[in-house]
Amino acid sequence: MSFEEEVDEIEANTLLGGAPFFSRPGGKIFIIWLVFTVIGVLIGFYAPHHLLPVMQSPEGGDVWATIVFFTVLAAPVAALVYAIAFYSLFAWRHRSEDPDVPPPDAEPQRGNGPVTVVWLAVSTVLVVVLLFWGIAVWSAQQVSHPNALQVNVTGQQWLWTYSYPGTGVETRTLDLPVNRPVQFNVTSVDVTHGFWPAVLGVQVDANPDVVTVIRTTPNKLGKFIVQCSQLCGLYHAFMNNTGDVVTSQQFDTWLQSNGATPTAAATAAGTSSSGSTTAMGK
Amino acid sequence: MGILLTFVVALVAIGGVAAFFISQSYTSPNYPNGVQVAQPLGTAVVNGQSVPHVALQFQTYPDSTGSVAGKQVHPSGNPAWPAYGLSNQYQVPAHSLVTVTIRQYDSGGSLNNPWFAKVSGTVGGVATFTSPDGKTVTTNHVDPDNIGHTFTMRSAPGVDSAFFLNVPLPTNANLPNNQTNPDAGQYYTVKFSFLSGAKGVYAWNCEFPCGQMVASFGGVMGAYGFMSGFVHVV
Amino acid sequence: MTTAVAPPLLEDTQLGPKAGGFYRYQNIWTGLGFGIFLGFVAWLVSHATVQGSNWGTDMVVTCTMVAWVVGFNIGMGTFNAPIHWILGHDQTHEDELYAAGVGQGSSRYLKFCTDHKVVGTQYLVLVMVLFGVGGTLAMMIRTQLITPHSSFLDPQTYNAIVTIHGMVMIIATIIMVSGPFANFIMPIMIGAKDMAFPRLNAMSFWVVVSAVPCLLATFFLGGVNAGWTTYAPLSVQAPAAMDAFAMTIITFVVSVTVAGVNTIVTVVTMRAKGMTMGRLPIFTWGTVVGGALGLYAMPAFLAVMTMMITDRATGTSFFVPEVGGSQWLYENIFWIMGHPEVYVILLPPVAAVLEIASTFARKPVFGYKVAIAGFVAIAALSIMVWAHHMFTTGWAPNLAAPFMLTTELISIPTGIIFLCTIGTLWKGSIWTRLPMWFVYLFVWNFIIGGVTGIYLSDVPADQFFHGDMFVTAHFHYTLLGGAMIGATAAVCYWFPKVSGRMLNERVGKVAFWMIAIGIQVTYFGQFWEGFQGMARRIAYYNPHYETANQMSTAGAYLLMAGWLVFLYMMINGWRHGKIAPANPWHAKTLEWKVPTPVPLENFLVDPVVTSDPYTYGEGVPDGQEVPESAPAPEPELVPAGSAPGDQIDAGGAS
Repeated sequence: MSFEEEVDEIEANTLLGGAPFFSRPGGKIFIIWLVFTVIGVLIGFYAPHHLLPVMQSPEGGDVWATIVFFTVLAAPVAALVYAIAFYSLFAWRHRSEDPDVPPPDAEPQRGNGPVTVVWLAVSTVLVVVLLFWGIAVWSAQQVSHPNALQVNVTGQQWLWTYSYPGTGVETRTLDLPVNRPVQFNVTSVDVTHGFWPAVLGVQVDANPDVVTVIRTTPNKLGKFIVQCSQLCGLYHAFMNNTGDVVTSQQFDTWLQSNGATPTAAATAAGTSSSGSTTAMGK
Repeated sequence: MGILLTFVVALVAIGGVAAFFISQSYTSPNYPNGVQVAQPLGTAVVNGQSVPHVALQFQTYPDSTGSVAGKQVHPSGNPAWPAYGLSNQYQVPAHSLVTVTIRQYDSGGSLNNPWFAKVSGTVGGVATFTSPDGKTVTTNHVDPDNIGHTFTMRSAPGVDSAFFLNVPLPTNANLPNNQTNPDAGQYYTVKFSFLSGAKGVYAWNCEFPCGQMVASFGGVMGAYGFMSGFVHVV
Repeated sequence: MTTAVAPPLLEDTQLGPKAGGFYRYQNIWTGLGFGIFLGFVAWLVSHATVQGSNWGTDMVVTCTMVAWVVGFNIGMGTFNAPIHWILGHDQTHEDELYAAGVGQGSSRYLKFCTDHKVVGTQYLVLVMVLFGVGGTLAMMIRTQLITPHSSFLDPQTYNAIVTIHGMVMIIATIIMVSGPFANFIMPIMIGAKDMAFPRLNAMSFWVVVSAVPCLLATFFLGGVNAGWTTYAPLSVQAPAAMDAFAMTIITFVVSVTVAGVNTIVTVVTMRAKGMTMGRLPIFTWGTVVGGALGLYAMPAFLAVMTMMITDRATGTSFFVPEVGGSQWLYENIFWIMGHPEVYVILLPPVAAVLEIASTFARKPVFGYKVAIAGFVAIAALSIMVWAHHMFTTGWAPNLAAPFMLTTELISIPTGIIFLCTIGTLWKGSIWTRLPMWFVYLFVWNFIIGGVTGIYLSDVPADQFFHGDMFVTAHFHYTLLGGAMIGATAAVCYWFPKVSGRMLNERVGKVAFWMIAIGIQVTYFGQFWEGFQGMARRIAYYNPHYETANQMSTAGAYLLMAGWLVFLYMMINGWRHGKIAPANPWHAKTLEWKVPTPVPLENFLVDPVVTSDPYTYGEGVPDGQEVPESAPAPEPELVPAGSAPGDQIDAGGAS
């Protein structure tokens, strides 16, 4: 190569060189990266919105938000790897007459200190951001309310039963009053089950001889499903119950229809004791 | 040649393994006597509506191989294992009144969770229990420490989540646990009616821990077909 | 002076009629026969002794399985050498040559054969058989899930299939690269004549073969209903099949431990002259780090399964709370094994991918030292993350944040590996032969698998996703889409050296697209199911999830078809493929510098190593070569006054 050609080549490949940005490898990869990142971000918004069930508690909302946030953060990283991989197949792929003859050797580049350091730094920063997010969300969920509704959840092969201490009610449907903090005290009588009311955004195993605790505050009315998330034997798939987030008044009524006294029901529901004279009361 | 032969043998073995338990799945004690279809009894009026009325009758076998009938239930069964029979598959029409009569021949004890001693999901929330000495009582719960088995039924996910049935089948200290000829032995009779739900597959199982190992829910309780089965609501 | 006469091939040695002793009569059929015989005897004796007790069946099954494993290996000849030594004499050189397969033709593949190349090929066939069994089980699962309430399988059979599918695949993926290629290729790569412990090498293979019938026996003993993770107390409640399952694991761990030790000692002590650790091909580093991690992790599996057997058969109270045990004890020890184990699965294929990327981009591995640091960091961190499998168990909620930290930290060295991979591709001369296709597929799949793992590492999000199909899709993307595709690339890459023939790449491309698209359809279907909230390990599901399930099953059938086409390509290639040259990829590592088929003890002439094998584009001769003929031996230096023959190490130790 003559001196002029060498200069041209250097200029073409350096940032300050003369060739337009988007006709250099870096530029083209940038475009591909941009396209992939946008697709990734769109997936981050589309998937939760269209695929996740409607969440019925702040913890459920946290799950939604986390998925969006993590996808948006991960998209540029994945996009970069994909962009370079795709570009390599188009720009640097060697096509020859004889498939058995290898292409000529490429420019050896055994490493690049600055690139490696930047990569490490960026990935560390991303991890720290993810971690802070996770810790922040998790800590916020650990707040316990002193007058939370207590629900004792019992897992057994192959049914969930729920009892509401103080009311004498034990049922197989999990009805909860809206906007009232609830604390689930979960245990099992035989093997390990997984108490999983998915749209409430909380989950904990039901272990024999141990009580595990999770807390949430349902904030959206509607029916939901409780599944068992830990394989527990023959009818694990049938260990589904329903639940329902209802108004306090409906909850009071429901408790009474299951045998609670009006006073106990009112306390549990958080309704005033004078408002419990309903036609359904026993 | 040796490698290829081994390889072909291995492939045949894989195919054989797959074929084996597909066949197992159809000949294991799941369908020993086919599906027991509920007998039609005409119609009945429930909650002001006229619905088809059918009847089902079955019993518990303390020794699933012992009696002539028992051998029909589980030819490959274990003498120490109880079973329901003659079949563990039942068929009832959807949205119908199903009257069930169960003869309970087995001994028992305490439930893991006394909640299952309560009747739930039947018409009126009650069942009629007749003890071996002829005393009859219609109630919504029995003594949780004298339970032989239960008949507990729920739908497959998404079929009818509102449906649930649980009827305890009592026992007493006099019922031996190895009645090999139940047709001549003592038994409790439990009679109840329920409204069947939407069409689909429902699973029934016994919630009394009459099995082995942890929580007495292993062994027979985990072996499909003895204390578990399906109700096909058609 | 150099000589021009080719040295005689070791495999052409004529052995006497009694060479090999008992080895002459021992092969897989005597192994089977003696194993069944001894198992039957143990069954009779244990049945008579403990019959009637509540735990009797467990004892009987355990004793039968132990007797089977021991009997099989006695029949194979695994213990011949130790028996010789116990009796006070050693095997003769002729015996050892016989044991290395001399004079037996292809029947040596069915015998206890110490030649690492034979063991590697045996492992390759075993891995293919295991994937066949595991894949068949997977197709049965997916077929059951075509409709929401299918009567294809009863719930007990379904749970048993889910369990054994998982365990077979775990065993297969642990050995899929370290079995065939760390055995066949790695010793040649480092310039060694064989592994450090050739007899232990053969032993590790036949021991894992004897574990497989124990696993399949579970179907006949009531089926294990507890998933491959077999959580207690459900697994203590399980039928006698669980004892056979535990014996499988115990046997398998023995094999893997021996193999791991063998790998590490070989690389540390048997490298050729000039092959410093810094000149090792990156693949070797991956197998060493993976093997070392396995040495740490797998014994925990053996421990937890031993405790499981004693809990079941003798009434100890490790795991059953009813009698004073703890299910969390089981879960902790299990995952102390379980998490490093997935990196034992992953590291060898990832290292193979880097090796292949370098060859087919005609460039050195980008960041060789950084990649090694990445492997070591992944291994070290993986030891500290296990409780991310237990975020929702209710155990130690205040440890959620530390484990979230360590788990998210692992993505940093994993990212470094990606940097090295795409750095190798950057401005390379990409030669798109079949192995390289699978390298690209690996990159695509592993990004998806890795990113989705990050969601699971977030404790609040995990409360939604734990026990959900999202988890299943995540680990299938990493283990199948990542590790297994990396292993597939390795198979395509080293096939010409192992079999001596080339694969038909046209058929390979058909298989590739079927596999690639099959993976995406199958596991995006499962991500979809997971987002919708479908639990895993269920035989019946809410019709709400039906479309996603049908998508996943359709993808699974396509994937299965793709693997069958791949299998056809391999068998066809092995039998009728074009004869391969010694170095079809023009690569620079030592295994390509020896002739194909590779002679016994690999090197007719000692290799000469002067640099690492990544001198692409540097304009220098290859740094790892096997010269045409041996250089003249160095003259023996004898100090004045001593007789020749007095050994003095005259410098330049090997």
